[in-house]
Amino acid sequence: MRDRFGLGWRHKLALGILSHLDRIDIVEVIADDYFRAPHRERRALRTLAAQTPITLHGVTLGLASSVAVDAKRLDQMARLCEEVRPVSWSEHLAFVRGGGIEIGHLAAPPRSAATIEGAVGNLRRARAIVGVAPQVENVATLIEPAGSDRDEATWVSEIIRHSESDLLLDLHNLHANALNFNFDPVDYIERIPPERIGAIHLAGGRWVGLPNAQRLLDDHLHDVPDPVYQLLEEVGARVPHPLTVILERDGNFPPIEWLLDQLDRARSAVARGRARQRAEAA
Amino acid sequence: MSDSQLETFLARIYVDRAARAKFLADPHGEAIRAGLTPEQIESVVQIDREGLELFAASLERKKQGGK
Repeated sequence: MRDRFGLGWRHKLALGILSHLDRIDIVEVIADDYFRAPHRERRALRTLAAQTPITLHGVTLGLASSVAVDAKRLDQMARLCEEVRPVSWSEHLAFVRGGGIEIGHLAAPPRSAATIEGAVGNLRRARAIVGVAPQVENVATLIEPAGSDRDEATWVSEIIRHSESDLLLDLHNLHANALNFNFDPVDYIERIPPERIGAIHLAGGRWVGLPNAQRLLDDHLHDVPDPVYQLLEEVGARVPHPLTVILERDGNFPPIEWLLDQLDRARSAVARGRARQRAEAA
Repeated sequence: MSDSQLETFLARIYVDRAARAKFLADPHGEAIRAGLTPEQIESVVQIDREGLELFAASLERKKQGGK
């Protein structure tokens, strides 16, 4: 096994991805887009999976909640996994609905014992129904979640520790939260057991809000900023096993070469980290 | 009250402009009327107002097809 670097599958990137599979090791597909997709679209996904390793990424399960995850949604994920045989699947440590109200996006839940217990229970259900535990992703948030009694690194670590799920560490989410809520992202990385970091997301964002009170929004519409590559090097210096690194871009699409160059920068960052790791071990 | 009640309360003020306005005008009263526990009431009264407005605005943009 070696480190793998890939892109998120988006229709507008499809041609570019398929034309450059020699430079793309893995493709991440939004699972929810295929739950109710027509047969031909699922067949196309199977064809893609036959050409390149794919990983499925969920966005609507709402696993980090004190409410039990809907078994029907897990059944849909299980069927899709059975059909396309991804190398892994993942979901967010977020809640996306409450009392029948759909938030329409990933919301950071209160960081409390209740949501840790809820998330761990939901991950157990997910493991039982899908057959494989998902990797779980830290989310970006513009709001410090009310009802929190611990910091994010502690909360994430506790969920990881009490479940079989490894962390899909989104480094732009971490970067954004660190800037928005004034904590050290390297300290956060150091507090996650390196053997439990399974994959990495990279993305970009933009500043929102009034000039004197701005926060960084993770919008997936911009290039990966330099500090995120620096964080990737830090991860590469700590994690002992091969990593999967996915660049997410949801719009404002540049030419595919531009994205492939960002993947190359990610490869270089991981390589620098690996070199540090070897030097420290020597 | 259960922890799910807090999640429901947060979901409502995130997505419902009128509910959010009522809450921001009277956080304590709205939290009591929602049946939150004293600890939950304390936490929502001290909510990150700036973040709430930014997050709500981002949800509205997303709903309108933007990011």
